[in-house]
Amino acid sequence: MKIKSIHILLAIIIIIGGGIFLASELDLYNTTKVRTPKKTVEGLYDIIDIRGSHNLEEIEKYFKLPASSVIEAFGLRPDTIPEFFQLKDMKEIFKPVELEGEEYIVETDTVKVFTSLYMKIPYVSDETFYLPEKTVNYLVENDKISGEEKEYWQGHTFKMEYLDSKYLTASEFTRMVVEETEEFAVKGNTTIQELLDSGITEEKFEEVTGFKVPDKTSVSLRDFIIEKGFEFGEVKDKFAE
Amino acid sequence: MAKKQKKNLIRLAVQIFFLALIILISFNHFRNEQGLAPLLIGNPSLHAVCPFGGVVTIYTYFSEGAFVQNIQQSSVTLMWLVLGLTLLFGPVFCGWICPFGTVEEFVGKIGRNIFKKRYNNFIPFKLDKLLKYLRYVVLLLVVILTATSGKLLFSNIDPYFALFNIWSSEVTRLSLLVLGLVLIGSLFVERPWCKYLCPFGALLGIFNLFRIVKLKRNEKTCINCKACDRACPMNINISTSKVVSNHQCISCLLCTDEMACPVSNSLNFSVLERKDSKEDSKEDSGAKIKESISGGGK
Repeated sequence: MKIKSIHILLAIIIIIGGGIFLASELDLYNTTKVRTPKKTVEGLYDIIDIRGSHNLEEIEKYFKLPASSVIEAFGLRPDTIPEFFQLKDMKEIFKPVELEGEEYIVETDTVKVFTSLYMKIPYVSDETFYLPEKTVNYLVENDKISGEEKEYWQGHTFKMEYLDSKYLTASEFTRMVVEETEEFAVKGNTTIQELLDSGITEEKFEEVTGFKVPDKTSVSLRDFIIEKGFEFGEVKDKFAE
Repeated sequence: MAKKQKKNLIRLAVQIFFLALIILISFNHFRNEQGLAPLLIGNPSLHAVCPFGGVVTIYTYFSEGAFVQNIQQSSVTLMWLVLGLTLLFGPVFCGWICPFGTVEEFVGKIGRNIFKKRYNNFIPFKLDKLLKYLRYVVLLLVVILTATSGKLLFSNIDPYFALFNIWSSEVTRLSLLVLGLVLIGSLFVERPWCKYLCPFGALLGIFNLFRIVKLKRNEKTCINCKACDRACPMNINISTSKVVSNHQCISCLLCTDEMACPVSNSLNFSVLERKDSKEDSKEDSGAKIKESISGGGK
């Protein structure tokens, strides 16, 4: 069989175009960092793979756990924006508590346990043996736990307190994050001086980049980072954090 | 009698499509930097749509189950798709898809207009043959350095990345220098980056040795006019081979009887061996053409 240009064109469409389409359907064509939690052998999203960077909207999407339930169970302000509120934000809101001689922080693993109980998906935590009283009450009121499970958790609760700081409530924190993002973001043309002006201290700069602030602060951060042989995107993300 | 060089509009359309796609991705990055929403296709990085990213991350992928910094899953998927396409038809990616190859080719058209027949013949044959192995050294270095550093060091010299990110300060001076040299070089030599330095082209070139669809020359009907040699952008000596398995072939089809070769069924890409009966009739037609041609060659 003689192969002509038209055959090559068809091969490109079928192999490359079709391949990309098929890979997308199988979730094997991600052009950005994968945020989807891994799946268990049963085909369900694995609670173990819930990450601090996941927001409430993603938790709702993957685990069918309504964001409103998390907001209510953890006493977050009702106007919390699920799209912006990441699970790791919780540690900025709630005071750490001392449980059995160890400090416990309400954050990602707490939500993992809550998701497990609410959705009745098995998950064994090796750090969360207590839950906030408010959270347990929510689970009981909504008939999500019963029997021995209910007894256990009702006996393992603690009072949740907000941090006495500017991050007093979740919605304020969320708003602040959004406002900060709108006010200042590190871009490709951001100079080191602009970075310092935005409130980044010289110590913080050194901590993130590993280098002291150069004498010439009018140089762009990107140029400076690339010249040092590092990836700009990585440093940019650290400053964004 | 020599057939007039035709334009392969299908290949040109494919090349323009992929070039436009990459320019759009690059433009969307520019918009993103300005805080504007991307147009039409989202905002994937240039690395995410380059199959070579899959090659450089392969060691880290299998040893640690992770991708090298800046490389995404799409690069690995694209790598497998391109390798599959190459196993069948040879380095179609180089000749038809790669936007950087397309740019070199377009610049080369200017060089061809300036230098006419001297174009692409400046480098002595022996030196050219030797330099063509340089890209394997580049391939080895890139794979080893990426595996040991876990970083995408190649982007510091990559002219493809520099060209389509030229507005960005992420581009290093070294890569801009390489880009400049390659574009200037393209005025004298066809596809200099592809020929001498491209590590992905080196990998795909190996597939020419065992590709399923082969470039075959029918010695009995060939009139030895060397139109195929003149048409080949990679300076392959096609007119002396029965089956062309040169590692530099980019499956552009420019040499075949669809384009340059004046004798029908004398030089083409095919899967199956020719049958004797058919061959006989073609030989007859080839012989007739031979009789009517007084000579040829460069």
